Amino acid sequence: MAQGVLVPRNFKLLDELEKGEKGLGDGTISWGLADDADNTLTRWQCTIIGPSKTNFEGRIYNLTVECGEHYPKERPKVRFNTKVRMNCVSDNGEVNSKQLDELKNWQTHSSIKNVLSGIRRAMTLKENKNFQQPNDGTFP
Amino acid sequence: MAAGLPRRIIKETQRLMQEPVTGIQAIPDESNARYFHVVVTGPEGSPYEEGVFKLELFLPEEYPMSAPKVRFMTKIYHPNIDKLGRICLDILKDKWSPALQIRTVLLSIQALLSAPNPDDPLANDVAEQWKTNEAKAIDTGYL
Repeated sequence: MAQGVLVPRNFKLLDELEKGEKGLGDGTISWGLADDADNTLTRWQCTIIGPSKTNFEGRIYNLTVECGEHYPKERPKVRFNTKVRMNCVSDNGEVNSKQLDELKNWQTHSSIKNVLSGIRRAMTLKENKNFQQPNDGTFP
Repeated sequence: MAAGLPRRIIKETQRLMQEPVTGIQAIPDESNARYFHVVVTGPEGSPYEEGVFKLELFLPEEYPMSAPKVRFMTKIYHPNIDKLGRICLDILKDKWSPALQIRTVLLSIQALLSAPNPDDPLANDVAEQWKTNEAKAIDTGYL
């Protein structure tokens, strides 16, 4: 039945914000507005805690997610602020939307949370988990 | 598109267009009949008089069993409206009843502009100002 009802951008984002404010069970990912007075709901400040038994363990990764005017029809832009080495992340910290399933297969009911948990899951993949990680620091 | 729209929503929309409420304009979005672009003018005698406020309203799938979602898009200094334009109003939360309508919701919001409720604040700083120095709060509220 839900297929006919399209939740407009701002109300979808307010809903995502509310879920983020309530926090999510294990706290390994979080998301909220970068500026709590940004009523365009565009820029989001997010964190991912590096999963254990990977080279990401013990670090808190800071990311910025940008939800444009046409979100959720258009996928958000995601970039790491904290330095990281992963297959789906370019040299300047941008997450390549073709290399992350959650962005590649983005749908109007997808969410910031989906993307963050997707990135965290990617950290546990063979292709990423043993990468030598850069020293602490932020992308320029 | 309109085929899936419940009769109740069609009726309410028609009535909103045919018999608009003074000071309130609500127009359905071209591509989403559950999404309304709303303009409310500040009520006479309130600090918001002569102000023009843009709002957005959405009827969720469960409507009318659950309340419409409404938000101010124009920034406003009001104890029951936060920085993101979210509104603290009982009928949008636990006091919602399917007997209420889009029209009654918008009237209540207009009334909230005339009579802020500083005892149930969303914007605590604004509410405090309102309680301790109403004249100054009203002055700040003026555009």
